[in-house]
Order: sequence, then C-alpha cells, then structure tokens
Amino acid sequence: MTPSHLVFLRVTRYDNDMEHFLRHFFVPHSSNNHHAKALHLDSMLCYVLIFAIFNFGIRIMHREFPNVLGYATDIRVDQLLSGTNSQRQALGLAPLTYNVTLSKAAALKAQDMFAHNYWAHNSPEGKTPWTFIQQAGYAYTVAGENLAKNFSTSQGVIDAWMASPTHKDNIVKPSYRDIGFAIVNGVLGGEETTLVVQMFGAGEAIANQEPVKTVVTEQAAITEVSPESSRLGEQTAKAVEEQVTPPVSIIPISAVQPTPIVNVLSTMFSSVSQKPMINIPTVTRDVAFLFMGLLIGVLIIDGIVISKKKIARVTGHNLAHILFFTAFFIALSIVRRGVLL
Amino acid sequence: MKLSHVNYIVLLIILVTGVFTFWGAANDKMMQLYIGVATAVSYVIWGIIYHTLEGDLHPKVVIEYCLVGMVAIVLMLTILWT
Repeated sequence: MTPSHLVFLRVTRYDNDMEHFLRHFFVPHSSNNHHAKALHLDSMLCYVLIFAIFNFGIRIMHREFPNVLGYATDIRVDQLLSGTNSQRQALGLAPLTYNVTLSKAAALKAQDMFAHNYWAHNSPEGKTPWTFIQQAGYAYTVAGENLAKNFSTSQGVIDAWMASPTHKDNIVKPSYRDIGFAIVNGVLGGEETTLVVQMFGAGEAIANQEPVKTVVTEQAAITEVSPESSRLGEQTAKAVEEQVTPPVSIIPISAVQPTPIVNVLSTMFSSVSQKPMINIPTVTRDVAFLFMGLLIGVLIIDGIVISKKKIARVTGHNLAHILFFTAFFIALSIVRRGVLL
Repeated sequence: MKLSHVNYIVLLIILVTGVFTFWGAANDKMMQLYIGVATAVSYVIWGIIYHTLEGDLHPKVVIEYCLVGMVAIVLMLTILWT
C-alpha cells in the first residue's frame, strides 16, 4: 500500500466518522435510540448550561475588555438636531433652534436619572422634567421631553421617536421653538445604558429675540394655551409635554443666556461614540437565532424520519416543540435594544 | 373534531397570545421577560395535560417539556439582557 493510499484511507475514515457523528447527532437512528442526540435530555441540559455560561462570559468579557466586546454606539447632537429638523421641515414646520440652556436641562435630567437609578419622566423624588428646565434657567411657556435609551445610531433614535405617535407629537409640535439634547453613558438598572434626553421649549423672553419668527410662534402659543393647560394632569403620559401660563415675572434675556458652566455641561454630553471590535447585540442575536433555527431544523428532520419509519417512542411531540420555538423565534425577532419613554 | 386537534388549537392560542403580548411590551424588557416565562410555563403545563389526556405521560416527557421551556427562556435572556 502506497502512502497516497494511506492518506486516502485516512480521509475516508475521517469522512465516515464525520458522517456517523452528524447522523448520530441530528437524525434518529439505532445508534441514538431513534431520537436525534441533539434532542436528548442531556443535550438539552447542556444547551441551558452553555447559554448560561455564554451570557455570563459576555458580561465578564465586556467588563474586562470593553474595547474588544462592547456596544457599538454613535449618537451625536448635531445628527439628532438635523434629523429632528428635517422631520419638521418635511411637514412645513419651522426648524427648532439648538438651545444650550435646554441642553443643560437635559444633562441635569440625565444625571439625575443615573444618580437615582430610574427610567421615567418623573423621578422617584417627584421631580418633573420642568424642574430641570427651570433649574437650568430656561423660562418656558411650553415645554416637552422625549427619552430614549440604548439605541446605536442617531437615525435609529429619530426613526423610533417618529414611529411612536406620542413622541412624534413632540417632534412636530408647531409651538416649540428651541431644542436641547443630552447623550450620556452610564449604568441604569445594572445595565450599561446610553441615554438620550431631548427637551423642547418656547419661552417669551427668547421668542422676543427673533422677531422674524415671532408672529408664527406667538400665534401658535396663544392658540394652544387653553387646551394644553387643561392637560396638565397627563404628565405621566409616555411623551410628556406641559404648557403653563407664563411666569409672573418674565426672566430677562440676559438671565437665560448660556453661562460658561452651562456650555461646559451641554458640551460634555453632546455625543457618545463607541466602536468595540465585537458588537455584543449582533453576536448574541446571531448565536441565539442560529441555534434556534438549528434546533427547529433538527426537530423537523427528527419528526419526519420517525413519522416515516412509524417508530413509537416515549418523548414529547416534535410538532408542539417546533410551534413553541417558532413562536419564540418570531417574538424575539422584533426585540430591539433601543427603548423609548 | 379530534381531541389532539383541540389541544393543538389551545396551544396555538397560548403561543399567539404570548407573541402578541410580548410585542405589546416592546418598551419594557422586564415585562417581556415575564411574558416569555409565562408562555414557557404555560407550554409545560399544556404538554403535561396533553400527554395525560393521550395516556402516555412519563416522567421523561415532563422533564423534556421543562428543558424545552428552559432552553427557550435562556435564549430569550441571551437576546434581552446582553
């Protein structure tokens, strides 16, 4: 026997081993007691343990090597501003002006959310979005807030807000003139979170600064004061908005001019950009869906072979398992990391 | 209508309800987790009742349904929490 024959035999032997393994693992056969090994109870238990270890491993790796395994994020204020204004302009509305004081209010809100670990428009201590707007020094007649967390791109945030009727209402509300943003990374509810706070407003003092837009803005504000005021009790609605009567004493323009501290705070939270080598959501989704697809495939093959051979065995029903995993597959396919409030 | 057909219709109702309520809670991951676990538990209970009615309930079958439910839950956790 020549060496080339030996190599051929070894390759053939390897092919046979592989074939046996695949048949044993995926197809019901006498070697696996007519039940694909991949569907045996011990295999199922292994899957549970492997995925549990996988999940913990991802978390530990992310904590130790965030640049290698992390969450790809690229959200910037300029993109959010242009995205918001392009949506408004498409509807024939005036674009909003970036306001540093509103951005400070948004930054204060974001900081408060991380400090007190809450995901809501109103804090557990009872602070409303308007508390932060007033604290920042923005004198408003109408104001609103949109929140988003864990989106990976600015366009993703805008698209999600526009797809939500209550958030869209804020974005395309004609009476708003100013807008501010804060984009902050932190830990919320034990989960690494990229938080986006979008605050809208219009104020008497600021309105007087730009005579060109005054007529439109004032008309809109006047026509909306009554209905908005009557909805003050709805502040816990998903996209919160509030209109109040103007403050008794109008804050002078100089008082709402951005101070250096305001500028620093709003600049600090103007973008979050992370580009890890491996994006965790992509990896986990790919692995989980590939595994689910494989499992459904094995269940189908196993069911067909057993049905054809008319073999009786003590197991659950493959059709039921297939329906169950398909339902989970469909439900999980719509899960997006980004969440709105 | 055969008993097994009725059972499968019940299973479909459980799963379709689970999928739609899961979608309805799109902005609340904790609620999605509860819905997923509730659907898996319902599936295990359905499996036990189904095999009891069919007269072929065996401890191995109960363990199998439990493990199938656990696999689904751990896959859901993988997607929801990482």
